Amino acid sequence: MHVPDGFLDARTLVATAAAASVGFGLALRAVRRHLPPRRVPLIGLTAAFVFAAQMLNFPVAAGTSGHLIGAALATVLLGPAAAVVAMTAVLLLQSLMFADGGITALGANVLNLAVIAPLVAHGVYRVVRSAAGVGPQGTLLAAGVAAWCSTLAAALACAAQLAASGVVAWGTVLAAMGGVHMVIGLGEAVITMLIVAVVMRARPELVMPAEPARATARGRTLAYGAALAIGSMVLVAPFASPWPDGLEHVAERFGFASRALAGQPAPLADYTVAPLLDASPWLATVLAGGIGALVAFAVAWFVARALAAPGRAGARH
Amino acid sequence: MESVSLLEVRDLHYRYPDGHAALRGLTFTLAPGERVALIGPNGAGKSTLLLHLNGLLPDRPALNPAVTVDGLPLVEANLPEVRRRVGLLFQDPDDQLFCPTVWEDVAFGPQQLGMREPQLSRVVSDALAQVGLGGFGERLPHHLSRGEKRRVCLAGLLACDARLLVLDEPTSDLDPRGRRELMMLLTHLPVAQLIATHDLEFVVETCPRAIVLDAGRIVADGPSRALLDDEPLMLAHGLERPHILRHRHPH
Amino acid sequence: MLRDRLLSPYQHGSSAVHRLPAGTKLLAAVACAVLIVLLPRSAWWAHAAVAGGLVAVAAVSRADLRGMLLRLLLLEPFVLGIALLALLRPGGVPLFLSMLTKSTLCLATMVLLTATTRFSDLLAVLWRIRVPALLVTTLALMHRYLFVLVEEMERMQRARRSRTFVAGRSSAWRNSAQVAGQLFVRTSERAERVYLAMCARGWKA
Repeated sequence: MHVPDGFLDARTLVATAAAASVGFGLALRAVRRHLPPRRVPLIGLTAAFVFAAQMLNFPVAAGTSGHLIGAALATVLLGPAAAVVAMTAVLLLQSLMFADGGITALGANVLNLAVIAPLVAHGVYRVVRSAAGVGPQGTLLAAGVAAWCSTLAAALACAAQLAASGVVAWGTVLAAMGGVHMVIGLGEAVITMLIVAVVMRARPELVMPAEPARATARGRTLAYGAALAIGSMVLVAPFASPWPDGLEHVAERFGFASRALAGQPAPLADYTVAPLLDASPWLATVLAGGIGALVAFAVAWFVARALAAPGRAGARH
Repeated sequence: MESVSLLEVRDLHYRYPDGHAALRGLTFTLAPGERVALIGPNGAGKSTLLLHLNGLLPDRPALNPAVTVDGLPLVEANLPEVRRRVGLLFQDPDDQLFCPTVWEDVAFGPQQLGMREPQLSRVVSDALAQVGLGGFGERLPHHLSRGEKRRVCLAGLLACDARLLVLDEPTSDLDPRGRRELMMLLTHLPVAQLIATHDLEFVVETCPRAIVLDAGRIVADGPSRALLDDEPLMLAHGLERPHILRHRHPH
Repeated sequence: MLRDRLLSPYQHGSSAVHRLPAGTKLLAAVACAVLIVLLPRSAWWAHAAVAGGLVAVAAVSRADLRGMLLRLLLLEPFVLGIALLALLRPGGVPLFLSMLTKSTLCLATMVLLTATTRFSDLLAVLWRIRVPALLVTTLALMHRYLFVLVEEMERMQRARRSRTFVAGRSSAWRNSAQVAGQLFVRTSERAERVYLAMCARGWKA
C-alpha cells in the first residue's frame, strides 16, 4: 500500500504531509509525556521487528504470499502513540533506503499506515475489548477486528488520496481498493491474531500494557478525535474540491443530482441492490463494507476461540 | 595502612520481584588494579551481582547501600559518577553496541559525560587503539566478528576512564584466537577487573584471585590456583578442576 | 548475498559523489524528487534531461547499480494495479506514462542517494536539522538491530522448518506466526537489555 512518487498531485501531497505531521507530532508528545524511559529503546527495536516480520511469508495460493503490514500489531504491543512513532520510522527507512514508497509521497504513506492505521486499530481494539472482555479470547478478537479495520481504513484513505489527485475515479478506486483490502484485511487479522496469541502465551504482560488512568481517558479522546477528523477529511475532500468538476462528479455518483434535475421518477422506488449499485455506487460500497465487516468479525471470532482455547495441543509450542 | 578499596560490598541482599532470593549477604572488597574472577554454577547470581555494581540494580537505590565504589556509596546522587568509574561489559555485545557506527558507540559514554571535540575524537581513537582496533571507527557493528564487537564495547568503557571493569562471561562465545586476543588485552590493561566466567582455564591464566559464588552466597574467596585445585570444593559447587591444573608437567 | 545487498544498499567508494557531504546529497535528492513530481506531464524533454542527469551522476559515482536497476523494473502489484486503473480515465495513457516515468525517476534518485551515502551519515544530518530526538534514536536503533533481528529470524525459521514434517499452508502460517511471536518476545527482552546498557553508560532519557 505504499504510494510511489508521481502518483499524487501536489495539493494532495501537501495536505497529507501536513496531516501526517500533525498526527506524528501529537503521538510524539504523548510518548514523551507518558512512556516510561525504560520503554524508549523498545520503540526502535519494535520498528526493526515490524520491518523483519514484514519479510515473513504467509502463502496464499499458487506461489503468492501474503505479508504482514504490522500497524495493528504494533498498536496492540506498544500502544497507539508509540506505534505511530515506530511505524513512521519503518516508513521513513523504507522510503529512504529501500525506495519502497516515494519520498515525496512520504506524507501520504505516513498518514495512511503510521497515523490512520494505528489510531483506527487502537479505537477498535479498545471498543471490542471492552465489549468482549480483557481475557485472552477478548483480546485476540479485538486484535483481529482492529487489524481488519485498520487495513481497510488505510486503504480507503489511500484510495481517497489517489482519487483526489485525479489518478483514478472515486467510485472505481474506492470499490477496488476497498474490496481488495477487505480480503487482505482478513489475512492481516488472522496473522495479527496468531502472533499476538504466541506473545500472550509466552509473556502476557507484553500485550497492550496498561496506561495510567488519566492518560487513558485523554488518550482515547485523542484517538477517536483524530480518527474522526481524518475520516471526515477523507470523506469531505471531494466536496471541498474547488473544481466544479469534482462536485458534479460526486453528485452524479450519489445518483441524485442530474436525475432530480431531469425530473425522472426515482428508480429508488424499486429498491434492490443492483439498481442501487447503478444509482449510487457509494452507498453500495458502504453496504459492502458493512457486510465485509461482519464477515471479518465472524472470522476473527472463530480464530480467537480456537487460539484462546486452553490446553490446545497444537498451540502449545 | 590506609588503603581506599576500589570496591566495597557489604552484606548485599537482593530479591527478585517474584520473591526469589538471588543474593544472600555478599561481602567482599576489591583493591585498585586487582584482577578477580567470579565463578560459580549457572543461577548462582553472578550476573545479578554484576548489575548491582553499576547501580542498574536495585531499581531504586537503597538509602543505605551495600555497595561503595571508590569511596562513593551507591545512592541516587552518585549514580552518574559510579557508572563512569565502573564499566560494565554485558554478555551479549549486540546489546551494548547499540550505535550505528563503532566510532559513535565508543563516543557515546564520553558524550553523555559532556565531552566535546576535539577532546572527544582523541579519547575515542585512544580507546580504540588500546583495544587494538585503531581505524575501525567507520565500521558498522554487524560487519564485525563477535570478538571485535566485544573489544569495541571495552573501548567504550575505557573511553570513560573507568577504574573498574566488570565483565560478564567475556570469552563465552569466542573462537580460540578471539579468546587469546581478549586475554592478552585484559592482562595488559592496568584497570581493576572483576570477571564473571565459566572459563576456568582463563581464570588460572589471568586472575590471581577468585571468588566462588553459589546460590547467592560467597563460598570461597582466595588465590585462584589454590581454590581451583581444591577438587572437592569445585565439584561441590557445580565446577571442576581445570585441565591446566590437572596435568602438571615438571617444567 | 542478495539479502545483504537489499538490506544495505550502501556501496563504499571514493568518487566525487561519495565525498560530497551527506546533507548536500540528501537535499539534492529530495529537491530532485520534488522537481520531478512537479514537472508538467507534457514536458517530456524535462523528464529526459533529469534522467540524463541521473545517469551522469551514476557514472561519476561508479556504483554498481545492476541490482538496483533490477529493482526499478520490479513493480509492486499495487503500483501496477493503480497505474492500470489510471489508464481507464479519459486521457489515461499520458497519465499512465507520466506516473510510471516520475516514479521510476524518483526511485532512481533515491537509489543513487543510498548507494553513495551511509545511513549513519544521513542520521547525523537528520539530527543536525533538528528532527525530533526520539525519531532519530528510533531510526538509529531500528537500523542497528534490523540485521540482528533478521538473522535471528532466519535461524528460528531454519529450526522450525527442520522440525516441520507436514508441508502445507496452515503449518506455514503457524510457523511464520510462531517465529514472529517468539521474535517479538526476544526483541522486547533485548530492548530491556539495551536500555540497561544505555543507562550503564550514562544515558538519561
